[in-house]
Amino acid sequence: MSPAVRLTASGMKKTMKHSPIRAVAMAPQPITRRALAKQLTRTKLLQAAREMFAERGYEAATVRDIAAAAGLSTGAVFASFADKADLFSEVIVAEYEFIYSSMAAATDEAAPARETLLNLLTMAYEAYLAQIRLVQAALGFCWMRDLLSEKRHMEAVDLVRNHLAGVLQRGVESGELSRSLDAKLTSEMLWETYLSNYRGVIFEGWGRDALRARMASQLDVLISERKLAA
Amino acid sequence: MGVREEGKQATRQRVLAAARDLFEEIGFEDATIRMIARRAGVSVGSVFTTFAGKSEILSYVMNDRLEGMYAELDRVVPHLRGHAVDRLRSIMAVHYSIEMRRQRLFVAYVSASFSWNAEQTVIPLGQNVRFKTMLADALIEGMARGEVREGVNVDMFVEVLLAAYIWNYRLVSHEGADVARLIDLMDRQIGILFEGVATR
Repeated sequence: MSPAVRLTASGMKKTMKHSPIRAVAMAPQPITRRALAKQLTRTKLLQAAREMFAERGYEAATVRDIAAAAGLSTGAVFASFADKADLFSEVIVAEYEFIYSSMAAATDEAAPARETLLNLLTMAYEAYLAQIRLVQAALGFCWMRDLLSEKRHMEAVDLVRNHLAGVLQRGVESGELSRSLDAKLTSEMLWETYLSNYRGVIFEGWGRDALRARMASQLDVLISERKLAA
Repeated sequence: MGVREEGKQATRQRVLAAARDLFEEIGFEDATIRMIARRAGVSVGSVFTTFAGKSEILSYVMNDRLEGMYAELDRVVPHLRGHAVDRLRSIMAVHYSIEMRRQRLFVAYVSASFSWNAEQTVIPLGQNVRFKTMLADALIEGMARGEVREGVNVDMFVEVLLAAYIWNYRLVSHEGADVARLIDLMDRQIGILFEGVATR
């Protein structure tokens, strides 16, 4: 089983606790016995792969070991995925979909934008601090994918970034943020800043509180008080 | 310097030059230590007595490039004119235009840098003090000239700017973005950051 991931944050409307792989696996599919079996194999493989990558990193995890951990043959892996890179891409896409659905569930549309963003990003840090090797592998990996899987990956990233942009946009509409704010570009910069802070975790051992404090200061720069409509 | 020490230095330089060219030509992933040794004209064993592995070679290649890059920047930056926002845009544009001369190498460096160990002696990406100082100075000068308001959190401003600077390179590896597109995007990002810090 994949380690249970739990996104929580104080003051959030809802909390989520489920495995990201499972969430994707439960996506609606035409139910035939064959399709079901195929889906089950895929889910098993993704869970095993996620665990293996989180434990060993991308390079050291082998397709053979992932197959064995899932109780399947190496051939079964290649029936579902093109190669190790494809398998890892799908693991990462599932993580982004999970981050997105957790954020969507935890967003209180009536709450102030700055506070909401800080809570959502803190929640994401909380979920991944215990799985830093997976994050590290994913951040290194995301620079060397092929164009096709990159398209899938960016669509998943955009789910998250667009959600953050939506929070910013509501902040503009409620009068909390200035009308001149470019919600799309700002949300992209916010996400890049969020990712860059993982360097602090990897190299300097930052914990949850340090990350939250950092993010609060960075939000002040990105949505500074000059942008708060007085 | 003894003969032995000189020999070691020469090997080191040859390995770094060979690795730099190979990483750019065929990519970091596909380049092997054996190929690097062959191109440098040294044995595989002597590569390993000098470097721990391929990532370490890459990190030294990237550290070496800094000298040339900052010699160029030190010549240019004092002559920059205009508002702080434009001077920052120019500094970033110069960085992009220099790094994009070996874009494949740079993207490999960004990718590999996430898996480096904390003990490694090389400068982690985004922690380059000269780069950070150059950006901070441009902002502080802007304050002195009344273009940037007092009390701005300079360190955080530089951090957010660097995050955007680095992640923009993803457009190179995945959309084939050229240097003009990176500079245009960075200009807009600096515009966003300046909305918060510029005096009115």
